[in-house]
Amino acid sequence: MKKIVAIVLAAMMLVAAFASCGGSGDSGSKAAQGGDSNSTVSTDTSKTGFDNVVADSDFGDEKAAKLKVWGPDNYTKLLKKQCEDFKKKYPDRVSKIDVVVQTEAEAGTQMLSDAEAGADVFGFANDQLNNLVNAGVIAQIAPKYAADVKATFLSNAVDACTMQNPKTKKDTLYAIPETGNGYFLVYDKSVVSDKDAATFEGILAACKKAGKQFIMDAGNGYYSCMFLFTGGLRLEGLEEDQVTQKFNKYDKKAVVASMKAFSTLMHKYTGTFKSLAVANIPSGFTSTSSRKSTCGAGIDGNWDTASIKQALGKNFGAAKLPTINIGGKDQQIYSMYGYKSLAVNGASKFPRTAQVLAYYLASEKCQNERCTELGWSPTLEASINTDAVKNDVAISALLEQSKYSVAQVNIGKIWDPFGNLGNKLCADNTNPETYNFTELLDKTIENVLDQ
Amino acid sequence: MIKSYKLRRGLANTFIYILLAVLGIIWVAPLAYLVIQSFSADPGAVPQTLLPETYGFDNYVKLLTETESLNFPRWYLNTFVIACFSCVISTISVLMVSYAFSRLRFKSRKKFINIGMILGMFPGFMTMIAIYYLLKAMQILDLKSIFGIPTFDGPILALIICYSSGAGLGFQISKGFFDTIPRALDEAATIDGATRNQIFWKIILPMSKPIVVYTVLTAFIGPWTDFILAKIIAGDKVDNYTVAIGLQKMLDNDHLNKWFKRFLSGSVLVAVPVTILFLKMQSYYVEGVTAGGVKG
Repeated sequence: MKKIVAIVLAAMMLVAAFASCGGSGDSGSKAAQGGDSNSTVSTDTSKTGFDNVVADSDFGDEKAAKLKVWGPDNYTKLLKKQCEDFKKKYPDRVSKIDVVVQTEAEAGTQMLSDAEAGADVFGFANDQLNNLVNAGVIAQIAPKYAADVKATFLSNAVDACTMQNPKTKKDTLYAIPETGNGYFLVYDKSVVSDKDAATFEGILAACKKAGKQFIMDAGNGYYSCMFLFTGGLRLEGLEEDQVTQKFNKYDKKAVVASMKAFSTLMHKYTGTFKSLAVANIPSGFTSTSSRKSTCGAGIDGNWDTASIKQALGKNFGAAKLPTINIGGKDQQIYSMYGYKSLAVNGASKFPRTAQVLAYYLASEKCQNERCTELGWSPTLEASINTDAVKNDVAISALLEQSKYSVAQVNIGKIWDPFGNLGNKLCADNTNPETYNFTELLDKTIENVLDQ
Repeated sequence: MIKSYKLRRGLANTFIYILLAVLGIIWVAPLAYLVIQSFSADPGAVPQTLLPETYGFDNYVKLLTETESLNFPRWYLNTFVIACFSCVISTISVLMVSYAFSRLRFKSRKKFINIGMILGMFPGFMTMIAIYYLLKAMQILDLKSIFGIPTFDGPILALIICYSSGAGLGFQISKGFFDTIPRALDEAATIDGATRNQIFWKIILPMSKPIVVYTVLTAFIGPWTDFILAKIIAGDKVDNYTVAIGLQKMLDNDHLNKWFKRFLSGSVLVAVPVTILFLKMQSYYVEGVTAGGVKG
């Protein structure tokens, strides 16, 4: 009997070991090749922009390349068109580009499970960057393009795509920022005036007066981090082990004061302040002939903007997050702000062509197309000041909020502890006058570091 | 103390029925909510009222016709094909394995039963990654239109293989059932000149309808509800998704606002074939149990 168990177990371990070795080892070595072959490209930074930087020699000896690109559902149509444009530009170099639907949130997981079956160029959410780099599944951006990206893109967007190379220990650009990804204040202009929208107190008072709700997802770490960030706490990447979260030297009293200020407001406006999933915000703004809308304002991300615009029509309002009064002083609410970026698969069979395509999709032309057709905020300095951006209140709000934000990159296991903290702050049985916020903060930080 | 027996029984029954009614409502409420909301024609993604204000077939029509981004009909067909194939294959293999273990006596029979038990104790997803790489190494995943059937691609074949190849290990329940059928029947048939194979098809199977029905149902439901293996194997091949992955897709950030109600109607549609199959086969349950084999 024991023998059988032993044999079965041994066989299983063997299979598992072979499978995992074969997968990651292979793609890792190919990733290194991709990086090396590109580092030979000469760097000339005198001219910027796609057409000035890319030369035909960048393709090396790659011809009639077949590439696969991942993009999210709503971008697929435009992405196909942009890939066709690219094909027309280089008819000899590219023979086929497949566009496959894959959300940015899942791209990283799919790449990690099997990079060889992954796309050559893919969009992903930046918080997956450290996992992708450590697993060696993405190639670094060719130095020639990296230099141009560093010179012409928003500096905090470039920072969010830069990581230490695990081997050389040098800061390396691993992806090209595609668009900003974050949340801001959305409101119904018939309920909350533009002036009210400047302060958290003003918004809640206006909502209460109109009998509407203010909705945010306070139990979700992605949003509840604002209660701590506003008090001065910051995330500063990961420790050497690439798992443990590092924090700045924050003033504990200020963070506790911020938590208390939020909790006090939540309880002062019980019934108005609702902690619900963000999907409730577009639905809450919707009114029918028989039923009025229930929501006056909320904190929601750029992915819901289209639905909210549809629900509110000309009453749609968007702004950066408001200020909150902490100890008699109005302080700006800080948020988490991430980027969606384009990366090149380290196991790509056509690494050079893939690099050019990624760089093309991040170019000014493609960024402007995404901005006007999909409402994606640009990441190029040059595209920020266009009319398309200035006239779009949602994009302007997102870009404005990015100035008061903590970058969503290299993040440890903060989501659950921060979410629990948010839930405690708005819980009915929490009395903000007597509650021990210091203890809650200590426990939260302890939980983040423990995991 | 209440003396009247009638009154006492009445009171006890009232209490029991109230309790059962409450439990019944708790159990049925989510299902009822899902079905009712799937017919809602209200604007907005998340239902704002307990019961919809307007009703219509909008969600169903859109789910089945707007296939540009999420192709639910295609996924439904995929899952149906996978379910039918693995249902037939696994039912046959489970019953044959059970018959062999129950009726035949051969060397290391006990050992095989034990190995089967032990392997069955490991959760299936433990070997998931290994299965994925094995299928990839055999180049099954990249096949297109197997046997010339347009929608029958590699991942679908792979899933059929996965669901049906290990099925024989789930022999315990049907073996237990076969053990209760008197061996006298086998012996009688043997005297009449039947082979082992004939005994299985002509004597044992017709008497085991309940367990056949049970095996068919579990084998058919498996692919409809399995998520984790299908997800790994389908990867980014959107055309080869099953309904489970498809329904989950409808709930991600990009789709939730437009697709939540279609998700509800999708869930209702998924229940349809399973329900039909169950209703069709239900009568055999009773028939099989009551039909006697040995008379007098």
